[in-house]
Amino acid sequence: MKRMLTLFTLLAAAATVFAAAEIGKPAPDFTATDILGKTHKLADYKGKIVVLESYNLDCPYCANHFKSGAMQELQAELTAKGVVWLLVNSVNPKNSSHRSIDAAQKEWTAQHLKATAWLDDSSGTIGKAYGMKTTPHMFVIAKDGTLAYQGAIDDRAASDGDPRTARNYVREAVTALEAGRKPAVTQTKSYGCGVKY
Amino acid sequence: MKTLGRLLFAALLASSTFAASAAHTRATLLLAASTAQPGDTVLAAVRLQMDPGWHTYWRNGGDSGGPTTIQWDLPPGITAGEIQWPTPEKFTLEGLTTYVYHNEATLLVPLKLAADLKPGPLELKAKVAWLECEEQCFKGAASVHASLQIGGETQASPNATKIEAAKKKLPEAAPAAMARALWDKASAADTRSVIFEWSADKAVTDPDFLPYTGDHFDVQSPTERLPDVDGRIRLRKDVKKPEGDWPKQLRGILTGKVDGASRGWEVALPIETAPPGKTASAPFSLGALLTSLGLAFLGGLILNVMPCVLPVIALKIFSFVKQSGEAPGRARRLSLVYALGILVSFLVLAGFVIAVQQAGQVASWGMQMQNRNFVLGMTILVTLVALNLFGVFEITLAGGAMSAADSLAGKSGAPGAFFNGVLATVLAIPCTAPALASAVGFAFTQPPLVILLTFCFIALGLAAPYVVLTWNPALLKFLPKPGAWMQRFKIALGFPMLATVIWLYKLSLNHLNKSQSLWFGIFLVALGMAAWIWGEFVQRGAGRRGVAALLSLALLGAVGTYAATRNEGIKWERWSQAAVDKARAEGRPVLVDFTADWCLTCQVNLTTSIDVAKVREKLAEVKAATLVGDYTLEDATIGKELHRFGRDAVPLVVVFPRNPSAEPIVLPPVLRPQLVLDALAKASQ
Repeated sequence: MKRMLTLFTLLAAAATVFAAAEIGKPAPDFTATDILGKTHKLADYKGKIVVLESYNLDCPYCANHFKSGAMQELQAELTAKGVVWLLVNSVNPKNSSHRSIDAAQKEWTAQHLKATAWLDDSSGTIGKAYGMKTTPHMFVIAKDGTLAYQGAIDDRAASDGDPRTARNYVREAVTALEAGRKPAVTQTKSYGCGVKY
Repeated sequence: MKTLGRLLFAALLASSTFAASAAHTRATLLLAASTAQPGDTVLAAVRLQMDPGWHTYWRNGGDSGGPTTIQWDLPPGITAGEIQWPTPEKFTLEGLTTYVYHNEATLLVPLKLAADLKPGPLELKAKVAWLECEEQCFKGAASVHASLQIGGETQASPNATKIEAAKKKLPEAAPAAMARALWDKASAADTRSVIFEWSADKAVTDPDFLPYTGDHFDVQSPTERLPDVDGRIRLRKDVKKPEGDWPKQLRGILTGKVDGASRGWEVALPIETAPPGKTASAPFSLGALLTSLGLAFLGGLILNVMPCVLPVIALKIFSFVKQSGEAPGRARRLSLVYALGILVSFLVLAGFVIAVQQAGQVASWGMQMQNRNFVLGMTILVTLVALNLFGVFEITLAGGAMSAADSLAGKSGAPGAFFNGVLATVLAIPCTAPALASAVGFAFTQPPLVILLTFCFIALGLAAPYVVLTWNPALLKFLPKPGAWMQRFKIALGFPMLATVIWLYKLSLNHLNKSQSLWFGIFLVALGMAAWIWGEFVQRGAGRRGVAALLSLALLGAVGTYAATRNEGIKWERWSQAAVDKARAEGRPVLVDFTADWCLTCQVNLTTSIDVAKVREKLAEVKAATLVGDYTLEDATIGKELHRFGRDAVPLVVVFPRNPSAEPIVLPPVLRPQLVLDALAKASQ
């Protein structure tokens, strides 16, 4: 019986964790392996700005950012400044959008991805800990490890057209953090396809 | 070189990932009229037909997705109005909630014809774009067109009936004063609750509010149904506003089922501010408050004759008897201290209820979990109380609570009386739950002050007879003398407790599957045996008490652990034709087990070939719906379904393929796991 009670306490705790990423609070720590087999621990990136991007190229919203090349440009621009940019792919292995390690490596090259790494989160652990709802859904973590921004990549919820014309919240947040300011916009509603947990 | 690279890159993208076409939704343009006169308004319909399992989105996609768009290309003199959206379905998957259409969605658009339109044929064109999702999401687009003749008369088109049918699926305009919205308290800096009050003239089931997209705010998808007040449906929803001001009004549709049919009403509700100091949780009225406090007092009074308090009454009687010999003033003072003991205990209980209530508002769906634990916990507690009344074991608070309390009460005056009050409360809890469930349920929706008052009045009711008797000692002569009858009385009281156990056990079944129910029952028996070992060989035993204690705990631990891990079984839902159709429409295969408790083969099939790890994995993998048709009692609908598959009786296990047009697979009466696995594999293609 006690085990049952413990189990339910844990379940309840897990449920709270699903939306635990709060602005101004420490971002949930995680350890994950990237598609090259390298391990990434969020805590190790303290002192650097970290961008998390929930990623699924099969989603038209996500795809538009890559098809136009706008996302790769932003990745290149920010990583050049020392920002750590982690793609988080939480697609369940049973979903046809899931990428094997091999397919992911091919996609990385084919799409000219300029992120720091592509994290395999097929268990959905990181996605659920942060409350990632859509692809894309962006999180910007400040150098002290607190969450500074979460939500949409920009103010243009569309799956076509040029994202460069939009107001990009991630670039804004990173620029503000680098200048030692709090981002003007800290939360927006993310848009895109649902994350395929 | 760079340009070439980009070109190659674009070509690559076009050829690989992004080339996937939207082959799962078909769009057509229908017009209500084939001929119309200048100045008319013609209703146009963009009809989207989705493949089974696929969905497109409402004007507010919810947590993900996006609305279908229509870009008109109309001849001069025709202007298109806003899209009128049919009431969508609230669709939750993996914790994400979206507002979607399955199978079909007809979006209506009024087209206004200018008064100076020249007669003749016109071609109306539009580009429709949508997002369609199932397991994956695709962008879909289609160019649609229809022709309209401008002439001297208005003539309905052959599609007019389809458009009439589509109009019936639109939300209706809400009558004035049908609903209102009130601010409730804030649960976080950026989140505030809104209470919807909805006066429906007919019974509405599954009431909900589906919000239109807000500017800088988002109405969260979970809806909490509050108890109705004066026949008004009450819903609570959270509004999240990361930036800017709180919204002044909420637009959306109220939805629900009336006489089994889905209905929707479009509303634009200004959010009213509840008067300061009160929350909007329940409309405040002094009359209602006094009534409920009166009921609380009455409830407390009744608790005195509840079985689990009666032994305490005996305790109280002992001290009455003793105190009647003392100075009346002292006895009166003690009676007030006793009342204070009860009051303080109930204030502690009230504090607990308020804490749960407040915690519940932060994570409102956590309540369900607690409910389950609460019910299971109560069942165990009351079982122990019954066993204790039977004398199987003693409650030992320094050598028996009864005698301890008695001696405390007798010896040490005021502290004893206070402890008596606390004890009365503690022992009353198993009865308080069933008897005052409604009071507690009511309390949950109330502001903390009302909860405190309610519990105070229950406490006063519980204490009242004692205080009254002490102040009028003449009434004491009506009280029975303590004696050996009390032991028998105690045992007799064990039976109503057992009845309470059965009632609680029945409640706990709502939270348990069949195997868990069985093992929870066996656990209760093991609990009884462990309690007996404890009472007979630990508390009253002569030697080897350590061994007995260990044995008792080991028994409890072993059965408890085994029972607690019985939670893997298949989650069955009740079979109905509608449930089968719904699951297949979502593109899921369905496994139906027609079974009966008296059918041994059915049970064997279930335990050896259906509810086994391999099949459970496969069921999860192919996202199959699992439905059970229980034929334990005669059921005409199930009987008919059995006949349809050529069987007179159970067992019958049928697997319906995800493709609704494929034939169902009937499994043989005696199963092996491989047969089920093969059928599921075939059904998921």
